[in-house]
Amino acid sequence: MLPIAHSELIQIFRNRAVLIASLFMPAAASAFFVHYRDTFERIGSLGYIAAVIAFTIGAFSLYATTVTTLAARRQDLFLKRLRSTAAGDASILSGQMLPVSAISLVQVSVILVVFAVISERPADIALLVVAILASFVMMLALGMATAGVTRSPEHAQVTTLPLSLGIIAVVNWVAITGTESLTLLKRLLPGGAATELVVNAWDGGVALTDSLFLLAPTLAWVVVAVALAANMFRWEPRR
Amino acid sequence: MSTRPAISTSTVIDVDTLNLSYGDFHAVKDLSFHVEQGELYALLGTNGSGKTSTLEVIEGHRKASSGDVRVFGKSPTDRGAVRPRMGIMLQESGFSPDLTVAESVRLVGRLSGREDTVDRVLGIVDLTRKADTRVSQLSGGEKRRLDFATAVYGRPELIVLDEPTTGLDIASRDALWDAVQQLLQDGSTIVLTTHYLEEAQQRADRIGLMHDGAFVHQGTVSDLTRTLPASIQFSLPRDAPAPPLQSAPLADRSYAIETFTLQEDLKTLLDWAHDHTVELQGLQAAPTRLDDVFRAIGAGQTAS
Repeated sequence: MLPIAHSELIQIFRNRAVLIASLFMPAAASAFFVHYRDTFERIGSLGYIAAVIAFTIGAFSLYATTVTTLAARRQDLFLKRLRSTAAGDASILSGQMLPVSAISLVQVSVILVVFAVISERPADIALLVVAILASFVMMLALGMATAGVTRSPEHAQVTTLPLSLGIIAVVNWVAITGTESLTLLKRLLPGGAATELVVNAWDGGVALTDSLFLLAPTLAWVVVAVALAANMFRWEPRR
Repeated sequence: MSTRPAISTSTVIDVDTLNLSYGDFHAVKDLSFHVEQGELYALLGTNGSGKTSTLEVIEGHRKASSGDVRVFGKSPTDRGAVRPRMGIMLQESGFSPDLTVAESVRLVGRLSGREDTVDRVLGIVDLTRKADTRVSQLSGGEKRRLDFATAVYGRPELIVLDEPTTGLDIASRDALWDAVQQLLQDGSTIVLTTHYLEEAQQRADRIGLMHDGAFVHQGTVSDLTRTLPASIQFSLPRDAPAPPLQSAPLADRSYAIETFTLQEDLKTLLDWAHDHTVELQGLQAAPTRLDDVFRAIGAGQTAS
């Protein structure tokens, strides 16, 4: 797995377009939210800003980059080349996904730490970590699933839009309006319960048992995403 | 109970009644063959005849719709067991354009489960000076050579080459065949497909000739060429008697003889010409070539 991850990291850093899309754009968007935190706090809360940052990185740095790189590696038959070796499928996929996952986790960690230092510390760091990790696993698996219907890296610009924009819309809707109304719908949407978890973890004031209840739909979406990935992901271009 | 002969202990590949379908398209039909250790086995065929599909099942890239395929006695999809003993050259390169030549070989080599050095395999294909060049900057022929280099990394026991010389210039083809010859001398087993029939005719120990997903012929080159007659062509002077062999007279007292006993008939003809002091003008004796067998398949002839 590590040789594959190493080569993938080299490829990401040598491809300027991927680097800008996966590293600089989400970081710049997150910096924007942090800079105008007072304005966004008035719209929602500090937890809302944390959720938007986490899901912006999750949607663009992790999800979109996963789809783009997997589509590119499949189109180039690089995945088939790797499968011509003794490496197993799980090892190949882990190696492919490790760099982009690590970059996204480092990004979200650095930005949220900076945000916490200049604003307020999150009320429940462990819950925040669990919520973000679960969301990232979901986004990663959804990326693999979307790669299955994406012909090329160029096509990824189209196929990633519905889910990435949809998730960002859900995050904003849930974090700004809360879940007092349309509770079930908001919690069942992808990223809905996870957003509420992040907001609760950062802002505090909610009983831990209530927050833990939100883990069920959050983890259920992880299971759904992994099942979609297992069914939709393809190793080779369609014949 | 199976009626197939017992498989030798030196059998490297054993394909038994392989069938492969893509949806409604039946790409490979009831294919059976085996490849012995140290052999060079060539799969030849018309375009779309099922060669690459067959190779992909042997490589473990595709699952058979039915039938059984064994490589070193194991399922080819058992990558951990089979791949350390098997090098694969794909029909299309499959390298990342953003990696260098050396990085590509190093990556595939480290994943192959075999020990070797990047310098050695790049030396085989004369790509040492391109070691730090990105794959995106290689020519098509250089990419094929890079592909070959990764296939022979660590001197695998079995090497599968899908159209290895396509796109190579003559010097590169010769160098590649020299490398193949060396691998055979070292005991490797090689299975390949090629569109260059003369290469197969010169190098292959046995050939499987495919058409429409099935074998039309299988055997040595002489087994295959024996299925079609050789030809003798000549012209006779106006006053010459009729030739001794049954022939199809062409225009202008030219003759074409088709024969399954070329040497014998040629001797008969030459003896006759000598005895009658007749000059065989423009005499040509052409043994059957693989090209002829191939063309016969294309024309729908079913040679025995």
